[in-house]
Amino acid sequence: MQPSPDINQYKELARRYGIAATPESVSRLTQLVARQDCCVDEIVRVIEKDPGLSARLLRVANPGAADESEYMATTVDEALMRNGIGCALLLAMGTPLSLALIKTFQTMLSLKLESVDVHQLDSLEGTHMRGFISFSGKVTGHVYLRMSSATARAIAGAILGMKPEELSADEVRDAAGELLNIMTGNFKSNLCDAGLDCKLQPPKVGMTDDCSTPVEPGGGLERLAFRSDTLQIFVDVTANPWSD
Amino acid sequence: MATKILSVDDSRTIRLIVGKAFRPYDVVLLEAANGEEGLAVAAREKPDLIILDVTMPVMDGVTMLTKLKEDPALKAIPVIMLTAESGRENVLQIARLGVRDYLVKPFKEDQLIEKASRCVTLEKRPVATPA
Repeated sequence: MQPSPDINQYKELARRYGIAATPESVSRLTQLVARQDCCVDEIVRVIEKDPGLSARLLRVANPGAADESEYMATTVDEALMRNGIGCALLLAMGTPLSLALIKTFQTMLSLKLESVDVHQLDSLEGTHMRGFISFSGKVTGHVYLRMSSATARAIAGAILGMKPEELSADEVRDAAGELLNIMTGNFKSNLCDAGLDCKLQPPKVGMTDDCSTPVEPGGGLERLAFRSDTLQIFVDVTANPWSD
Repeated sequence: MATKILSVDDSRTIRLIVGKAFRPYDVVLLEAANGEEGLAVAAREKPDLIILDVTMPVMDGVTMLTKLKEDPALKAIPVIMLTAESGRENVLQIARLGVRDYLVKPFKEDQLIEKASRCVTLEKRPVATPA
């Protein structure tokens, strides 16, 4: 099948503007999930071809497991049977989020951030900074960003080239909100390109003691964690596909 | 005469980063937090270049760009979109409206300077010599 003129034109513009493409496996997976009549076998094949996606799917499908030895679902097929297609959607959303966060740290803070299993980090307790962005349309959900207040201040200082102690609370909140905007803007583009049109709400950022993440009715949750030498960041994604 | 650059973004963080990027250059940086404010500043100051976000409250970047291109006094001002949204529909729509360049967040200050220097002349600020 020939690509549409729009797709060719977009590819030409993306090349001219230097816009990086979403990984092929992630685009393909999102397109498959967007088709409500899609065959599960096709989704399994796409995920199995990508070791990173397979590992993350198994992690999402075994939320209580501390490591692989405790997994109840051990194959891609089992994981999808157990958790449904929504699980694959979370996977498709989590990848652009992770890539965007890691790239943001690399380009704007010159800091190497690595994605780790959430169990490898000390859990966040007590008062911390939480930001979230809601999205709605053909897929509905939230992206939550959590970090200690010291981490939020250090990140804002690094982004703005200022000493953390010189920053006002508003500046720290605004930097965390922009971090959320950048992450979610990237994954929203991927969802929309796959046919899952959705709109983002402006970020809401504040301090909280509440460490729980509410899950959409009929939806799922994926927990992502990141660390550098000195920072720990937690990202939760909740989503309900085909919510319209 | 210094080059006038207008940064339109609801995030103060981004406006500060844009300001930091242009600090070594002989540039007057103008700021606006949404499209409506951006149009007002553009009409009043006639900037040489506009750096424009897409998702903003009050008036988004696509609406501001549309209105800018409809205004004979403002339509020749080059616009660089600076946004986290790189979806196909967004990019095609914005390109059709007539944008000079597109920079996806996250970005390096060097990338912004490189794209801006293709639109306007950027001259280094004279270094102050000690008395």
